[in-house]
Amino acid sequence: MVGIRRLFAGSLGTLLVGMLAGFVIASAAGIFIQDSGLFGASGESPVTRSYMLSLLKLDPSSMVGIRPNQSVVQRAAELQGADTSRNTSSIQPLSLTYMGGATVGSYSVHIYAVDLRSAEGVDQFFPLALTVFGGKVVRRE
Amino acid sequence: MNETKALASLALFAVGILGGVVVHTLLDKGPAENPYPALPKIEEPRAAHDVVAAIGADDAQSLSRLIDSSMLTELDAALQPIIDVRTTKFVGAVESEGRLLSAYVVTGKTTDGIDFVVGFVLRVANDVVVGVN
Repeated sequence: MVGIRRLFAGSLGTLLVGMLAGFVIASAAGIFIQDSGLFGASGESPVTRSYMLSLLKLDPSSMVGIRPNQSVVQRAAELQGADTSRNTSSIQPLSLTYMGGATVGSYSVHIYAVDLRSAEGVDQFFPLALTVFGGKVVRRE
Repeated sequence: MNETKALASLALFAVGILGGVVVHTLLDKGPAENPYPALPKIEEPRAAHDVVAAIGADDAQSLSRLIDSSMLTELDAALQPIIDVRTTKFVGAVESEGRLLSAYVVTGKTTDGIDFVVGFVLRVANDVVVGVN
C-alpha cells in the first residue's frame, strides 16, 4: 500500500515538474517568436493593446490592472480629467497601428502610431512607446 | 525493471511538458481586437536610418551633423536611462499624409550597469528628420 502511494506521489511529482517545464518553455518560445516575427507574429502585447484602447476611449478605469498602483486621489483626479475631456473635447481615433517592439529580460517596449481627429477637426499623428514590466505598463512616452 | 521505471518516468515527464504547453496555450490570450484601422508599414526612411546608425556606432560627430541641438536634447531624453547603447533595431515605419514615423528599439546599459530597453520614434518629413518622440 505504501509502495503504491509512493509510486503515485513520485509519478505525480514528475508530471507536475514536466508541466512546469512545458509552461516555461512555451512562454520563452512565445516571447522569442513574438520578438522575431516568426510565423507572422506581430509581437504585440495584449497588455499594451488594452492600454492603448483604454487611452483612446478615455477610459482610465479599465487601465487599473495594467499599470502601477496609484493612490485613490490620483485615480479620482484621472477620472475627473477623463470626464472633462469626454465632455469638452471629443476625439475621433482614425487609426491605431502597432509599429513593433522588443524584449530585454523582464522589460519590453511596444511602439504605436496613433492618428486622431480633435473636436476642432485637426488631425494629429503621433507615436507612443510603452514599457511593460511585470505585466504592467510602467512607462509611456 | 529499472529501465522500465526510468522510461516510464521519462514518458511521464514528456506528457507533463506537453500538458504545460497546452495549459500555456489556453491561458495565453492574444491582444484584444483593434477596432481602428491600422496603417500599412513602409520602408525605413533613409534620414532616420542615418541618425540611428550614428547612435549604434557611438559616432557623436556624425550625430551632431545630422540633427539640431533641440532634437539632440529630445533624443537624449528618449534614450534615458540608457547611457551605453549596445544595439539598435528598426521595428517599423508608417506614413500618414506625408508625415512619417520611424520606430526604433535600443538596448543598452544604465549608469548602474543594468540592461535596459527603450523605444523612440523619429519624425521624418521631406527626407529630413524633423522630430524625436
